[in-house]
Amino acid sequence: MALPDIKEKWTYKINEVTIGAIEQEGGTRGKTITVGGQTTLPLLSFEGNIPNKPVVAGYIANAVPDWPDTILKGIGDEVKSPVEWAQKSVQEFKVDLLSIKLIGADPHGKNATAEECAKTVSDVLKAVDVPLIIWGCGDDEKDSLVLQACAEAAKGENCLIGSAKESNYRTIVALCMANKHKIISEAPVDINIGKQVNILLRDIGYNLNDVIMFQTTAALGYGFDYVYTISERARIAGLKGDALMALPQICDVGGEVFRVKEAVADEDALPGWGALEKRGPMWEAVCAGNYLQAGADIVIMAHPVAIKNIRQAIDKLF
Amino acid sequence: MADCTVSFQPHNKAVTVRKGTTLLEAALKANITINNLCGGDGICGRCKMIIKKGNIPEEVSGKLTREEITRGYVLACLTQVMENLVVEIPPETLAREKIVDDEDADRFKEFGQLAQAGDEFVFSPIVKKIYLDLDSPTLDNNTADQQRVCEAVHREIGSGATQMGLKIIRNLPAILRGNNYKVTATVGFRRDIAEIMNIEPGNTAGKNYMIVIDIGTTTIVAHLVDANRIRTIAAKACFNSQGIYGSEVTSRIISAEKRGIVELQKLLISDINGLIRGLAKEDRINLKDITAVVCAGNTVMSHFLLGLPTRYIRRKPYTPTSVDPPPFRAVEVGIQINPRGLLYSLPGISGWVGSDITAGILATNIIDRDGISLLVDIGTNGEIIVGNREWLVACSASAGPALEGANVTCGIRAETGAIEKVYIKNRKIQYKTIGFVPPKGFCGSGIIDLVSVLFNMGIIDRRGRFLDGLDEGVQELNGQKVYLLVDRKKSGHGNHVFISESDIENVITAKAAIFAAMKILLARLDMSFDDVSHFYIAGAFGNHIDIESAISIGLIPNIDRNKIIFAGNTSVKGAKLAAYFQHAFNRVAQIRAKTTYYDLMGADDYVEEFRKAMFLPHTDIELFKGEKVWQKA
Repeated sequence: MALPDIKEKWTYKINEVTIGAIEQEGGTRGKTITVGGQTTLPLLSFEGNIPNKPVVAGYIANAVPDWPDTILKGIGDEVKSPVEWAQKSVQEFKVDLLSIKLIGADPHGKNATAEECAKTVSDVLKAVDVPLIIWGCGDDEKDSLVLQACAEAAKGENCLIGSAKESNYRTIVALCMANKHKIISEAPVDINIGKQVNILLRDIGYNLNDVIMFQTTAALGYGFDYVYTISERARIAGLKGDALMALPQICDVGGEVFRVKEAVADEDALPGWGALEKRGPMWEAVCAGNYLQAGADIVIMAHPVAIKNIRQAIDKLF
Repeated sequence: MADCTVSFQPHNKAVTVRKGTTLLEAALKANITINNLCGGDGICGRCKMIIKKGNIPEEVSGKLTREEITRGYVLACLTQVMENLVVEIPPETLAREKIVDDEDADRFKEFGQLAQAGDEFVFSPIVKKIYLDLDSPTLDNNTADQQRVCEAVHREIGSGATQMGLKIIRNLPAILRGNNYKVTATVGFRRDIAEIMNIEPGNTAGKNYMIVIDIGTTTIVAHLVDANRIRTIAAKACFNSQGIYGSEVTSRIISAEKRGIVELQKLLISDINGLIRGLAKEDRINLKDITAVVCAGNTVMSHFLLGLPTRYIRRKPYTPTSVDPPPFRAVEVGIQINPRGLLYSLPGISGWVGSDITAGILATNIIDRDGISLLVDIGTNGEIIVGNREWLVACSASAGPALEGANVTCGIRAETGAIEKVYIKNRKIQYKTIGFVPPKGFCGSGIIDLVSVLFNMGIIDRRGRFLDGLDEGVQELNGQKVYLLVDRKKSGHGNHVFISESDIENVITAKAAIFAAMKILLARLDMSFDDVSHFYIAGAFGNHIDIESAISIGLIPNIDRNKIIFAGNTSVKGAKLAAYFQHAFNRVAQIRAKTTYYDLMGADDYVEEFRKAMFLPHTDIELFKGEKVWQKA
């Protein structure tokens, strides 16, 4: 008797989304990045096509993140300048694209103005030629100004702008449509809200082919399993034919990992856990690797050691 | 402790209460029904009164506007009486009697005929008056009085055992001989036993009436029916006065634990007596000619009716005292009809599935239909039954009172002045009130319509949030975004009539709870909405819901409209069937045996399904495909 074919047969394809625009497309990027387009789950290439490998976006910010010195040292002194950080990430860390978090705009922090943020974005775009992901600071009110200014400053560059939530999606859609950018739709670890945000975007006329989903990211040990399952369920739903879930996904690993004690506490605080300079990037890499397995198409990462490891994993496995 | 006198205007009613009593309790003591939904917790802000004379301890409530406070407004439930007071009750605070149209009676007439046409349903009311023209005893036939009567009755009714109470037997010799052996026997039936419950002089058989009641948590509906033929003479409804102890059954149970069952029973019985008196008076019927009361209601209400302890219903393992009580003398619980008249309670199923549901199953006759039927009874608790000839499964979901007009800022019960319909005409939002008077608020059907209209016009998004700048009706009122439907100048009480984002959220929550429950129950049976052949919508307000509105907000699924049947108040219909057809009454036992209760509290995917339904019309918009959805211009 012949062995039965137990291969999964998916019926649908995940949207292909391209970020960045080269000169002919009205931008100034040296290359574009395309993600999505797969017709199977990660790694299972025998069940479908995986035309685009997952990519690593380098984490940069317009203020020095509140990370331990050991981690910042691993990245280098360039963290103090978004432009230098961007250049180092592209040249030395070999990231595929960049993700700038405008945490400096936080009204409770440095409170950088929208114009200052827009200038940073312009400077970064001038300094490197990879596509750019732009995030606000998380304060809806401030972000509506900041992202508006940045979207205008980056007009034509086909950036990916984050993030559209239930609370602010209309603003984000308006500024992305006006300046020809793409959108990250965000939901708070809830697959239903994730879908709802996509529906809301579609309802006001935004094309879901230009959207990447962000189901939020949890660091390993801090709800990682929830997000993992949600990402995987979203992907399965998409492959099964739910057009509202057939979108590529992004994970902000670097932004999340260096907030949990396992990745920030020194060995004297966690005896027996090993040196932080190794443990920090390991935590980041393990976390990122797992999200890739769940279906992430873009992982945002900060530490060069972690980036190097994930780069190898992607090249060899994905 | 000292006593104080509170006089209420414009009723001119004064009551003496102990110091420290709340104004709300005082009003209740004065028999004034107050529009109160939260049960006296100071949450709903409906029980506004104006202090005309006397001082009260200061109590700050966010439910009153600055303007109202300066005008002497207080919330009755938060205000303690500490000295003699004169209090004015503004009209909007007074609860009004609900308008019951005769629609229900008309529908039933048809239904009665249909049921009668069915081979099994033979007209056999649960009480029957039989005129007996007995032979006088002779030396040849000196059968004892009781046996003479029983034999005659037996000849009339056919099979079954006959019983008679001691008191009646004692009176027999006198009443028979005093009336030349021409008397009328009133016979009450339960299963196969016939009880001769009364012997009256002469022939009164033509005058025999029954009262059929649906005891709702919010509204009590009573129908006066002729026991000699299928005829609904009149219908009346009133609020359940227990409302002052909370709008949901659980808060009533808690109140009963604090204050005693008798307190809550008294309120209910007085409501019922009021309805019966009103019905009898209008139609010039003597109370003594009303020989039976047949009640259906949720299990908790049925317990309050009989004064049965309710405390174990809300505690694990949720045991009611009785779900199938025998008939009692109505007078035993204080219901004023014929002193020997009977009170029948329809059998229920469990603590959370009461006789309103068995009545609903009876009325829709889903146990005798081909294909799968689904019955949803929309109320504070949404009850859902799915089944066919072989089996029935029931579940119950706590929806909250938003669909009944509570928990919504401008929500009122279905009464004169309630907006019951909202629609679009010439691209403008229009409305219609009950009684065609200036509006005072929305009742459930109006709220469903309004949310649907706002959504379809693109004034709110799928989460129920206002999209700015799209309609001039969207305004900022007391710091919250609202849709102003009726300006205060045009309303019936001088206040704006509007709906806020949080009101809409409450409506979405309620519809999500009901939809999720339906979906899960069907999923457990490995079915979908498409497998349902008959989709019944019941509820006291179910008569008026606009089907397209209900579908467009996702309260009911987007199925073939031909499958959807509005069944109206199936609780009262089922009780009426049971009153007219003993076979129907006995069939409730079959219904009980076939019905399984599925507890949603044990369903681990309920929250997930609920979440999915918290969207207009639903997160799985594919479920509502083809449903017209606004597109941004």
